[in-house]
Amino acid sequence: MSNSKWFASLEGGRCGLLLSLLFLSASLLAQTEYEVVPDRAPSSRAFLLGIGRTNQLDTYLSPMEYTGLQVSFLLQGERMTRLAHRHISFQSTFHGVFTSTENPAATAKYWGGRLAYDAGWHYHYSPLKNLDLKGGAMIGADVGFLYNDRNGNNPAQGQFSIDLSLSAGAGYSWSLWKLPMQASYQADLPMLGMMFRPEFGESYYEISQRGVGHDLVCAHPGNALSLRQFLTLDFCLRRVTLRIGYLCDIRQSNAHSLKYHDISHSFMFGIVRHFQLTRIRK
Amino acid sequence: MKKLSAFLIIFISAFLTSCQQGDFSYDDTPQGNLDALWTLIDERYCFLSYKEKELGFSWADLRAKYSAKLNPKMSRVQLFEVLCQMLSELKDGHVNISTSLDLGRNWSWKEDYPENLDTELRQRYLGTDYHIGSGLKYTILPDNIAYVVYESFSDAIGEGNLSDMMSFLQLCNGMILDIRGNGGGELTNAERLSRRFTNEKVLVGYMSYKTGKGHDDFSEPRAEYVEPSEHIRWQKPVVLLVNRSCYSAANTFVRNMKEMPLVTVMGDQTGGGSGLPFSSELPIGWSVRFSASPSYDARMQHVEFGIEPDVKASLDESLAASGKDSMIEAARKLLTGQ
Repeated sequence: MSNSKWFASLEGGRCGLLLSLLFLSASLLAQTEYEVVPDRAPSSRAFLLGIGRTNQLDTYLSPMEYTGLQVSFLLQGERMTRLAHRHISFQSTFHGVFTSTENPAATAKYWGGRLAYDAGWHYHYSPLKNLDLKGGAMIGADVGFLYNDRNGNNPAQGQFSIDLSLSAGAGYSWSLWKLPMQASYQADLPMLGMMFRPEFGESYYEISQRGVGHDLVCAHPGNALSLRQFLTLDFCLRRVTLRIGYLCDIRQSNAHSLKYHDISHSFMFGIVRHFQLTRIRK
Repeated sequence: MKKLSAFLIIFISAFLTSCQQGDFSYDDTPQGNLDALWTLIDERYCFLSYKEKELGFSWADLRAKYSAKLNPKMSRVQLFEVLCQMLSELKDGHVNISTSLDLGRNWSWKEDYPENLDTELRQRYLGTDYHIGSGLKYTILPDNIAYVVYESFSDAIGEGNLSDMMSFLQLCNGMILDIRGNGGGELTNAERLSRRFTNEKVLVGYMSYKTGKGHDDFSEPRAEYVEPSEHIRWQKPVVLLVNRSCYSAANTFVRNMKEMPLVTVMGDQTGGGSGLPFSSELPIGWSVRFSASPSYDARMQHVEFGIEPDVKASLDESLAASGKDSMIEAARKLLTGQ
């Protein structure tokens, strides 16, 4: 995949403030026999906020499904590496979620929070001029909690997992009324990992006495079928690249006869910044 | 491209249909709520096999028995009564339905027996210048016997409280530790106090928990020990006064103290309650509490229905009229050797 396709908005010239500065600096330095050259491929950073609905189930706390509000933030960075003739990109994602849900009878509430970090590498392939396909793997870690405001002896559940995921996606660039736009889709499917799940009737007292060693479970699609899908649209308004998107995050597990799921659908919106590191060459 | 698109569509469709549902598929109807409660106890209550044997009921039969009392138009109050009746068959103080209407309970473990406690009488022994160390009240009786009252294991006690109390009482010839009426609380407080009465590591019991939905799916019992405290420890005889209201963590404390060499348990059988409770709920939104993890004594015997004292004693009403607590007096006699 060429960099020009990957950063379609940069190519459009409307968001290329940093690129302009690069050329200006280069012309000034040329008078003193120095030149500024790109050191690494362009990269992007996105900061998004999200709001949506979530459906939560944790049978350690309750057999009922709780539904309600989710707010989140997502920091996502992506850059091309020198690997495989600049066909491999590195992506890092930091996702924070806060939820407030209630049971069907509206007599109890869950308060929840989760932080997740994922790092991934994708190989890019362009079968068509404006189309970019990618596939790769991600490693990630999750920590979180779910608190029930009514349970006495088992009021909360801790969450911890690490996993290796398969990841695939596609991006398509085009112009609309001379505005560069890019639509992207990415799906991440955890394949193997480790997760903390207490045993069926194990109390906090027993966990504290016995340790958590036996509560760490190997996670795989057979007992923790999860999937994250992210559909985004990038477009420029004046000199700012905006991103809107739909994030569908499905996390499930069934271990120690305890079921867990957190199925959320969020509308995401935020900004994207494209920039390029440079170095000065004599 | 077409193959890839088809694959993605099939994969996502298959995934969405695989999303798991909650454990309960019961409606918020009288029958749905009874079935949900019955299933919850059937799968998660830790004493079901034991109680079926001891109390002579069949949990499977109770579903039909109480379903027959339902009708689709019954009120919330009526439904609450039927569900509470079904749970009462378990005779467990840790089993409750909590609603805005009422707290469903079976307290027959204490209500069906003499209380053997007169708090006004007890206060006479404490007097007015007794010490208060967090949840502990203590004084020295005229015959140089320490008298300590601990009314609830929910009242925190720190190592500092215990050390100060032991220091103050160290010249006494013995101790009466009165936990009559103590309905339980934090297990950590029970363990912290027990550690002051042994110089060696003592096996006091076992604990396990449910590992699955089967009635007998339990973890390997874990041995529970009381290790000697690193602070001041009591080295003289102790009489532990108990009654039927000693429940839950207080019951566990009595279980622990029975294994200590200088301790004599005196009074009535304790109330029991040896299961660590868990919470859950019903489709109607009512909270349900139940015993989830059983504990046993050092001989792997259940203590769910209470612990027999070493020395039986009860409150003598005629003596009470003259301002004497017959149980405290019996404890004093035992400690002074009269």
